Parts: sequence; C-alpha cells; structure tokens
Amino acid sequence: MNPLRHDFIQSCLLSFLPQPPTPAEPLRYLDVGCGGGIFAESAARLPTTRSVTAIDPSPTILEVARAHAKRDPSLAGGKLEYVSETIESLALPARPEDRFDVVSVFEVVEHVDYPAAFLDRVGEFVRPGGWLVLSTIARTWTSWVTTNLVAEDLLGVVPKGTHDWYKYLNEDELRGYFAGKGGVATAEG
Amino acid sequence: MDAVIRGRAAYVCRSCTQRFQRQLRRSYASAAAKPDIYDVVCVGGGPAGLSLLTALRANPVTSHLRIALVEAQDLAKVKSWKLPPDRFSNRCSSLTPSSALFLDQIGAWRHLERDRVQAYQEMQVWDGVTGARIEFDWAPGSAPAAGTTIAYMNENLNLTSGLLKRLEELGGVAMFDNARVERITYGEETEEMDLREWPVVHLSGGKQLSARLLVGADGANSPVRSFAGINARGWDYNRHGVVATVEMEGEGWGGDHTKIAYQRFLPTGPVAMLPLPGNYSTLVWSTTPRNASLLKSLSAKDFTAMVNAAFRLSPTDLEYMHTQESGQAEEYSWRMEHTPVDYRAVPQTVMGVQEGTVASFPLKLRHADTYIGERVALVGDAAHTIHPLAGQGLNQGQGDVQSLAKTIEYAVNHGQDIGVTMSLEPYVAERYAANHLLLGVCDKLHKLYSVGSGPLVPLRSVGLSAVNALGPLKSFFMNQAAGNGIKVF
Repeated sequence: MNPLRHDFIQSCLLSFLPQPPTPAEPLRYLDVGCGGGIFAESAARLPTTRSVTAIDPSPTILEVARAHAKRDPSLAGGKLEYVSETIESLALPARPEDRFDVVSVFEVVEHVDYPAAFLDRVGEFVRPGGWLVLSTIARTWTSWVTTNLVAEDLLGVVPKGTHDWYKYLNEDELRGYFAGKGGVATAEG
Repeated sequence: MDAVIRGRAAYVCRSCTQRFQRQLRRSYASAAAKPDIYDVVCVGGGPAGLSLLTALRANPVTSHLRIALVEAQDLAKVKSWKLPPDRFSNRCSSLTPSSALFLDQIGAWRHLERDRVQAYQEMQVWDGVTGARIEFDWAPGSAPAAGTTIAYMNENLNLTSGLLKRLEELGGVAMFDNARVERITYGEETEEMDLREWPVVHLSGGKQLSARLLVGADGANSPVRSFAGINARGWDYNRHGVVATVEMEGEGWGGDHTKIAYQRFLPTGPVAMLPLPGNYSTLVWSTTPRNASLLKSLSAKDFTAMVNAAFRLSPTDLEYMHTQESGQAEEYSWRMEHTPVDYRAVPQTVMGVQEGTVASFPLKLRHADTYIGERVALVGDAAHTIHPLAGQGLNQGQGDVQSLAKTIEYAVNHGQDIGVTMSLEPYVAERYAANHLLLGVCDKLHKLYSVGSGPLVPLRSVGLSAVNALGPLKSFFMNQAAGNGIKVF
C-alpha cells in the first residue's frame, strides 16, 4: 500500500505543477502519526525530498522507528527526524513559507475523537500552495468486517479496541469539511 | 572509491559516506573496519551481471545508485576481445529479438561487433528416428511487423565485450576484477548504523564491500546463492554439450539473406547447426559423456565426418561409428553411398573444424527455490540452468535482468529500500513461473526425444508433422520463439 501513497502524492503534485518535483527543489514533509515509520522512511529516501519530520505521541513506537531507520545508512544525516510530539504540541513555524510542502496524515483520523479540530490544526502546518494528504478508513460494511470483525475479533492481528467503527469518516463527510474551509479536495478510492 | 560516487543526490550520498567515515574514525580510531557501502554489489561479470549493471546505469532513475562489480576474470581482456573475421569463438548463444531489443534499449547493442552477429530467419527441426519434420519458415503475411528474424547467433564474448564498452561509456561502476570472493558475511551494528542484515563481500586482498542489495550473477554454482541459503534443485541429464566452430561448403541454402538453423533430435540428444556469418556455423551436439569424449579425441577429418553423419545417417549408423576409435571419415563416405539424403533439407556439408574449438560441458537442469532473499537477488544461471535444446539459457537471464532492473526502478521511485524482500518480490513473481515453464518444456522435449523406440516414437512424430501442416499454429509457435514466450520445438 505504501507505494500507492507516493503515486497519489505524485498525482496531487502533478495536478498543480507543470513537471514532477526535481532534486533541485526538494520537498519538506511532515508525517503526522508516523508510527513505525513506513511512510516517513520511504519519503526520506526519495531524491526529491529535502527533509521528513515524523511525529507520533508514542515514544515506544518511535524507538522502533529509529531502530529500523538505523538499518539504512542513507537515512542518517538528518534527512529523517522522529519527534515525540502530537500535532497540538508541535511548534508551528512562525513564517508561513517555513511550513511544509507535504503534510501527510495516513490512517490517523479514524483514531481521533474530534477530527474537525484535529484537521484544523494539521492544516496550519501546510505552507501556502502545499498539500495536505490523508488516508483513512471509510465507515462501510466492508471496513466493519475487515478491520473490526476479522482483524480484531477473529484473527486478533491488532489489539481489540484499536478501531472504533463509529469514528470512521466517509469521503463525502471529508469533502464537506474541506469545502467548508474553502479548500480543494482530490480523492482516490 | 569516492571517484565512483556520482550524481547529485546519491542514494548513499557522498556527504553521508564521508560523515560516517569521519565518525567511525573518531569513535573507532583503532578499528580498521569502516564499511564501504554500496547500493548494488553484483558478483559475476557474465552476460547477466553486466546487462543488469548497464540497465541500472543507463536509467536516470537508478543511475545515482552506488554500484560495484566483482569478477574473477580480467575484464580488460574481455573488453579488448578481438578475433580475426574468419575465426569464431565456440561459445555462442542465440539472442531472441526481445533480448536484442532490451540490449538496444540499454545502449549496448551498438557496441557489439555487428558483422559477427548472424540473424537467422528459418528453423528446420526433425526427428532423427522417424524423419518427421517441422519447417519454421514465415508463410506469406504471417511474419511479424518487427521482421522475420527468429533469433541472432552471437558469440558470448562479443556480448560481454560490448556490454563492458557500454559500461565504460556510462561510467560509475566500481570494478573489482581479477578478484575472488573469499567469503560473504553479515555486517555489524555500531552506534550509527545497524548493518546486521547487510551482506559483506570479502575479496581476496582484504577488500570488503557492504551491499544494500547483493546480486548473484555468479553462475550455476553461485556462492551468493549458497550464502543466502537458497537451494537449487534438479538433475543432471548425463549428457554433454559438444560445441565447435565449423566451416561449411557455402553460406547456406538460403544464401546470405535467409539463414537457417537446423536441429535433429537423436536418441542420444539433439544436434544443432546454427548459422554464423559467411560460411561458418556453430555446432551444439548434446550426447552421452562417452560419445562426447570420443568426439573430442577425433582428428579434424574424422570429427568433420561425424558432424556430417549426425545430420544425415541413421541413429544405428551413428551408434556404430561411435564405437570406432578413428577412421570415421572413410566409414562416412562408404555409408553415404547407401543413404539417400534430401541434401537441401539438411545443413550444407561441413568442410572443416576450427582448431581448438571442440569442447564440451555437462548438461543439467537446476532451478533455485526462489530468486530472492533479504538483500539478495539471483539472476541468470545462478537462478536456473536449462537444457540448451531451445537456445533459451542466455535469453532467460536477459529476461531476469530486465525484470529486476524494472523492480529496482519501481522501488527507487517509491522510496523503498531496494534490498528488502518486499521490494524484490515483484521480480520473483514476474519471472519464476515463466522460467519454470520453459525449464519444464525443454526438459520434457529432451526426454520425449531420448526415446529410440516404442509407442512414444510414432506419437511424437504425429505431433511434429501435424504442427508443420497447420499454418496458423506454426506461425503462433514461431512468434513465441521469436518473442518473449516459450520456444516450442
């Protein structure tokens, strides 16, 4: 799934840029809720990336992420930085142009109690002209069967209570939210 | 080594490497080990290994990767390989148009000595026991748009030499030739990095190369495959392939513009005569080890007679002639007086054999359980060894390389670590079943035609004759042979 995230980001960037980003003008990423760093590592490896700031509130999982990043020497040297913060506690760069080219929020919104307030805060970290890219689980029968019934109850691959189906958001709800902010949303199902 | 780090944003960038080295010097001043880190370390500078590195260097997406090649031979000698126009190496391979296209795409094809490469447009295949025959020629209108070439015969050294010239033009590969792999171990964990899953190649002379991705292009007895703990299964055919460069009475029945490849299935194995430029051909005769050693011991005159006999006389005649220690030339002329032969249905008469070109190698089937492991990928003969009867060995390797290069390109484009199993999986998914099928088809064909008598013999001939009569089916087979698919004969 992770490669598809990059394809989606590329398609977003290309929809407003005449050409794909080049290593001459590398991008700055903020990955919110980075977990073990699957996306953060891959973003940091791209030659078109200047830096990746990856935040997660859990110091335990950041230890796992840092240990994994040590296995790839190309990630050392400051290009990838893990910070134990929440989006609420993270300091907002004062100047708008110092904010991020791409802010990614992958599989996070569905765990948040107040998604609108959360997304309001996340949006502040996007530089003018930048991209907020997110993915989440829609509230459908399929997601109930796969993420709740199978993953938690039957197979137990994730701890019970990880997912609350009632917190899941549907595409039209997110579209409605962004439309209310005057934003332009693009989606891929 | 810094000279070989090129590109703007190297995967292991220059500053990172230098930083590590500085840090290591600081914290481990007494320790000699500072890892020399490469993105790709390829062991084996044969056609597969060189094509892979050329493909990676020629592609702007992967050209920033830090690459090393380890080869036991002297690559300068291979690169400057040169033979007079009337001498040909005995190790030739058939290159399908799709292999040639790939070599062209990576910019290597134009570096081959093109006047030493021979295209052929027809194949004649027949059963040595029953005489049933299939003629692979293009019916009017059935030829593909790409041309009528079924395949190209080419000396392996012409290919490796051309690839090395192309690599030199591209630059940026650290070449460790005349180098033996002493052992392969895993890296270590330090304060800054954890290379415990990274293979480290130890070369004779003490040089150590740490590999993000270690590629085994190191042949059938691949040390890289052993290191990765991947088994190769299969069997020996108890057959040897006898090769030689021979001189024919002319440039072939079809002249210079329609060259023909011939293959006759004998109970001991197939014998093939494949066209080279001018009056020359290359012979591949699969036969028993005993017959092979007899053939190698014969005088040029007797050897020539045996090759002519192999395409003309009955299996019984041939069996007898293999019991003679010498005098095959006389035996052959006597027996030919009593054997009616449609001379245009067989290769032109062999007039002589080039000195020092008669050699043999054992034939076997091997297939590795998988082509990938954590930070390891196998290509070419390290992954599979095939019976040469369909001339597909080298082409399978080219198919592997094309697929692996594409897999690496995808991984780089999506920020994946190119060495981890997850990044390499598309390669094995694309190639394993295709190679397995081809290995199986060639194996079954060998076994089917090894039978000298019994109920299978008339049945297999019905197969060949029926295919020959059915035009569309035959075109399909020919397109398969020339394309990426299976060569069925």
